[in-house]
Amino acid sequence: MEDVQVVAMLVRRCIAGDASAWEEIVQTYNRRIYNICYRFAGSADDAQDLTQDVFIKMYRTLSSYDASKGAFVTWVTTITRNLLVDHFRKTKQDRITDSMDTTASEHEDAQPLSEQIPDQSAPPDARVRQREVSETVHQALGKLSPELREAVILRDLQDMDYKEIATVLRVPEGTVKSRINRGRAELARLLQRTYRQVM
Amino acid sequence: MPDRTSNGMQCNEFDLLLSDAVEGVLSGPELDRFQAHARTCKTCGPLLEEAEAGRQWLKGLMEVEPPASLVPNILASTTGVDSQRLRAMSRAPQPRVSWWEHVQASFLEPMWGVVRQPRFAMSFGMAFFAISVSLTVAGVRPADLAQISLRPTAIKRTYYNTQARVVRYVDNVRPVLELQAALRTFKRNVNPAEPGPAKQKERKNDTTQQPEQKQERNYSQTGEKLILARGPVGPFDFDRSISDPSNPDLPVVSVTTYRRFV
Repeated sequence: MEDVQVVAMLVRRCIAGDASAWEEIVQTYNRRIYNICYRFAGSADDAQDLTQDVFIKMYRTLSSYDASKGAFVTWVTTITRNLLVDHFRKTKQDRITDSMDTTASEHEDAQPLSEQIPDQSAPPDARVRQREVSETVHQALGKLSPELREAVILRDLQDMDYKEIATVLRVPEGTVKSRINRGRAELARLLQRTYRQVM
Repeated sequence: MPDRTSNGMQCNEFDLLLSDAVEGVLSGPELDRFQAHARTCKTCGPLLEEAEAGRQWLKGLMEVEPPASLVPNILASTTGVDSQRLRAMSRAPQPRVSWWEHVQASFLEPMWGVVRQPRFAMSFGMAFFAISVSLTVAGVRPADLAQISLRPTAIKRTYYNTQARVVRYVDNVRPVLELQAALRTFKRNVNPAEPGPAKQKERKNDTTQQPEQKQERNYSQTGEKLILARGPVGPFDFDRSISDPSNPDLPVVSVTTYRRFV
């Protein structure tokens, strides 16, 4: 994914005070970090704030990055994951294992997830349907426990290998695999239940 | 849940190979054993289906586009400047700015921005109104101000003129004051006993009309206060008690005060 030498040079330039090097790092990684934050936190506003926090932390601790210990992207993802854990603790989101009939939003007038599922029998537009399905999967992802959620996000959405995920999550590879399997299966069960209700 | 099936694979081994199988990296005899276990095991078979379905759902998720303001915000919060704008500014030729334009941009425009605020305008209006009213009441006219001369001789002349005006005023008023004093003396001689002031004095000391209110205003405690604790033993000799301050045979006087609890 990244050329180790190029990234190491970029980091060195950045530590030396080269603003353009820092901007290059921001341009390269902002999309990835934003997506991780968005899929984990569930809201665009939170994702934006968290991404900004990740880069602020990165900027402050850039000198602590050691290229010999691992890839830069793993280091960045570890920072992101740590901040997401902090955010999760701060917002006191409990592990959500309740029914999908409960509202995903905190607003009282929000519809239950099962009511937000589009009617697949008569799709008005393929693109709109695709967006709605994505939104449903995104909401179902938010209902997974944080341990399972972060594992499937890093594997299936960020295409990280098991070793990198194990480094980021600080758990053995076997645990990573187990969490990914359980996360995928639980997501499928949630979505099957939802679509069964609609059908 | 069967821990071991006829093909020799255990469920925990199946669990370890599940992710590889779902991602299509499992092959050869291991894949055959895996599939055989999935077909026979009632727990692992559905698990494989669910894991495959879940992966498909996740792979269908599109990457979201970060907001356009994200990168500028990050750069502003880290390096403190918008580097893109900075670079664009450094590339653009800088127009020549005169000193007057510089002063205008630095001081006058910010000041004008403050002056234009309604609150400032209202305060200024009120202050102007108050000053103009005060000057009008004091008899100062703007036309007079224009004629004021600040030369030393002129100031000296103004001082002497003002002094002479005051002396003239006192001289004019003096006969009137003397006449008023004479009239008061004459009235006093004609009617020597005027009950008015005496009555007023009496009324002033009279607290019998509203004793409670008086006490309420001055005291804060209720109870019977004994001023002297000992009464006369024999017949009371008033003259002796007055003339001798050390005489213990004084009358007992009790004073009751009232307190209203609010």
